[in-house]
Amino acid sequence: MALTKKNNVRNFCIVAHIDHGKSTLADRIIEKTGQVSQRDMESQLLDSMDLEKERGITIKLTPITMYYTAKNGEEYKFNLIDTPGHVDFSYEVSRSLAACEGAILIVDATQGIEAQTLANCYLALDNDLEIMPVLNKMDLASARPDEVSAEIEEIIGLDASDAPRISAKNGINIEDVLEGIVNKIPAPVGDDDAPLRALIFDSYYDNFKGVICFVRIKDGKVKVGDKIRTYISDKQFDVTEVGVFSPHLQPKECLYSGDVGYIAASIKSVEDTNVGDTITLVNNPAPEPLPGYKKALPVVFSGVYPLDGSKFNDLKEALLKLKLNDAALSFEPDNSMALGFGFRCGFLGLLHMEIVQQRIEREFDLDIITTTPGVSYHVYKTGGEMVLVNNPSKLPDSSEIEHIEEPVIKASIYSPPDYIGPIMELCKEKRGELITMDYIDTRRVRLLYKLPLNEIIFDFFDGLKSRTRGYASLDYELDGYQTSELVKLDMYLNGDICDALSIIVHKEKAYARGRAIAIKLKDVIPRQMFEIPIQAAVGGKIIARETVKALRKDVLAKCYGGDITRKKKLLEKQKEGKKKMRRLGSVEIPSEAFMSILKIDSE
Amino acid sequence: MAGIYVHVPFCKHKCTYCDFASYPREINKAEAYFACLLKEIDSRAQELKHMVFDTVYFGGGTPSFVNANLIGAALNRIKKTFNVAQGAEITIEINPGTVDEEKVELYKKVGFNRFSIGLQSADDKRLASLNRIHDAQQFLHTCELLGDQNISVDVMIGLKEQQKDEVKKTIDLAVKGGAKHISVYALTPEEGTPMFTTYLNGELPSEDETAELYDFAYRYLDKLGYKRYEVSNFALGGYYSRHNLNYWKRGEYVGLGVAASSCIENRRFTNTEKIDEYIRFIMNDCYAEIFSEKIEGDEIKSEFIMLALRTSAGINLDKYKNTFGVDFLCEFKEEVALEGDYLDIGENFVKIKDDYLYVQNQIIINFLK
Repeated sequence: MALTKKNNVRNFCIVAHIDHGKSTLADRIIEKTGQVSQRDMESQLLDSMDLEKERGITIKLTPITMYYTAKNGEEYKFNLIDTPGHVDFSYEVSRSLAACEGAILIVDATQGIEAQTLANCYLALDNDLEIMPVLNKMDLASARPDEVSAEIEEIIGLDASDAPRISAKNGINIEDVLEGIVNKIPAPVGDDDAPLRALIFDSYYDNFKGVICFVRIKDGKVKVGDKIRTYISDKQFDVTEVGVFSPHLQPKECLYSGDVGYIAASIKSVEDTNVGDTITLVNNPAPEPLPGYKKALPVVFSGVYPLDGSKFNDLKEALLKLKLNDAALSFEPDNSMALGFGFRCGFLGLLHMEIVQQRIEREFDLDIITTTPGVSYHVYKTGGEMVLVNNPSKLPDSSEIEHIEEPVIKASIYSPPDYIGPIMELCKEKRGELITMDYIDTRRVRLLYKLPLNEIIFDFFDGLKSRTRGYASLDYELDGYQTSELVKLDMYLNGDICDALSIIVHKEKAYARGRAIAIKLKDVIPRQMFEIPIQAAVGGKIIARETVKALRKDVLAKCYGGDITRKKKLLEKQKEGKKKMRRLGSVEIPSEAFMSILKIDSE
Repeated sequence: MAGIYVHVPFCKHKCTYCDFASYPREINKAEAYFACLLKEIDSRAQELKHMVFDTVYFGGGTPSFVNANLIGAALNRIKKTFNVAQGAEITIEINPGTVDEEKVELYKKVGFNRFSIGLQSADDKRLASLNRIHDAQQFLHTCELLGDQNISVDVMIGLKEQQKDEVKKTIDLAVKGGAKHISVYALTPEEGTPMFTTYLNGELPSEDETAELYDFAYRYLDKLGYKRYEVSNFALGGYYSRHNLNYWKRGEYVGLGVAASSCIENRRFTNTEKIDEYIRFIMNDCYAEIFSEKIEGDEIKSEFIMLALRTSAGINLDKYKNTFGVDFLCEFKEEVALEGDYLDIGENFVKIKDDYLYVQNQIIINFLK
């Protein structure tokens, strides 16, 4: 392939509401540019992790490089960069957007603009991307392109009069999209002769090549043999391979400014290649890194324990392996009276936590228990000493505590003005404090809130989406700590304290939460041989009580000649079910009990 | 100990809860079926001639529904070809409304000495709703015909809107009929039966309500002198079902006829459930087995334990040691300690405490290998 001039490079992403056809359009573009043979075309090529396909979400970013000969006779290089779609990964989204010059905005011509369309579109606008609207699903009889075009102009303020009207599913008018990319999305700017500055927007660990860094070359060039340095982690490596995604890794001699591609340099851990970091050359370093680097800090903590206590080492192995690929995951050994040895893990958010949990279970075939997630507190003891507590069971006795500070966030909530009421109500429930509210324009308002992190990790995002019918978007950053009236809520099962169920809550919420948790536990704990009292307590004082009644009947009515095999299987199945339970003192608890108490508020 | 089971897959019509191999519409095949049964008896007897059998059991279906001569011929053939011990317990399941004096006399003459009657309930409306063919009066009449025989009566609990007084009335009727043995079975809604719809519609009593009925029956029977020797079975002094005890002691048994199961030398096998297929197999000089598995190692232990813990006698520790070469209490030291509150441990037995026999699965699963 001949060298493509910088003017003929287009770096772009696709933003859309879920189900509006993002993956399908990506597949069509890939097909049209002949990048992947029809035979290799697996639907939704970009979402490669099993988990991603299943959940229809993107977790890891997957870029792809394609070549297209435009109607003007020139060949163009297209780099399509995929973006994850969840607030847990919003920093990754912003970095991958920073690697592009433009975005295709897909709007379903039958449904018009939807919540996520707007949220993602604003993200792209905030990153100064050129946005090209596309009307999809024109094959459906219910398509109403003129109306939807008008809607786009009215709501987002983009001229959609010449937006391609396509059907990604049926491959109609895909060329209009390709021509649009050529004509509307600007070429990258950058100086090949300047010192190298490459933005890392994702990375993953490959067993053979080490870490593969996904980069956007902003300035300069990089080739095999170059000695590179990462700005933030300040590590040096020798480049062993550079290349593009086709969509599989395709080595190239050199990457130039404006290119999107990968760099491999025998890097041992993704921790050395943080998303947002800048790569430069050791011999000819750039004076300044690219702007906008943030270390992805874990904000949600929970205990992860093997269901089978003897599998501690297997769990450790699994976490170490996941960590190679997931720099945001943190963990340290921990032990619980109730659950034995395990790890205290830190995650970016609840989705991240759920993903890690599922990957441990699937990829490493380990059954685990994840305890109720919480955040990290600053606890000032009466002697003036400050201790960091991210595990409720490690909270010192209240007599030793002078005061506690909890982490707070500054949350920017964007929404159409219609939903201000519900948003304010939600934030109030979550102990939020309104800082400012401003109208960005008549159709978009921004509410800036200060919120305790422990209130939003549970179900704030879901609550926000449901109360605004999906129209609000959330962006947040940590904003230090503030003193708060916090107490430890303990749960007692059959008279024994269960440390793994303890949580730290605001004093005023302790009673309601204790009651709700007790009721929830009553639902999820199966009846056993004896009556099990469930009690919630604060500072040793019982504030709520529920009871799981004793089991009365668990027997196979008949068991004679021919039944024995079948009945034995039934019992074995029952035994298997019991293996999924964890014995805490005298009580058997299903592993999902720990997570179920999270979902209380949303029910 | 060893037993012979004969399956008679015919009945007048299906009861609403029944998912057994029984085919009311195929009664016209009874003669061909019994002809094949005789052939199967001959072959199995030849193969098992080294064994002595202490019990014979004719179950169904409704064995008393078919021509008594066919039943008589089958039992005669069994006695002729198998080594059936002197004083063997020979049971037939009968239903009120399907027997008369002549039939009863014939049964007694060929050697049946135990009669198991499916009474289920003393409430005639209930019997009609279950699609049973008899009423309470017919039950008493049948008992009169039988006279002072070893009679066993089945009682069902867990039926729609069932109350204790119905259970009491049923037990009283069984006692009046002269029952030496009473079985109390909780209804198990099986998929594919009309009763399953009732169950899906939430019309059956809850497990707690059924447990309540069971506890009542257990205490009432105990008071009347019927001692519980297995979770669902109660008997006056000594009148245990030896045939069924053999299952729970994990003895050997051979099953003859459709859907009948056998366990011989740790091989479990089961005949086809279909009458036509059974006939075809046998006519071609084949056995009609369609399932067979060898039970080995720890599985034998698991079976032994799960069956023994159903009984009031529990696990016989000497027998366990003789059979498996290890001491049960050593082998399951941890489990025994963990479940200690629910177990009675004696010199030569481990059993589930009376109060916990009805939640036995919770305990048994801990001892499965």
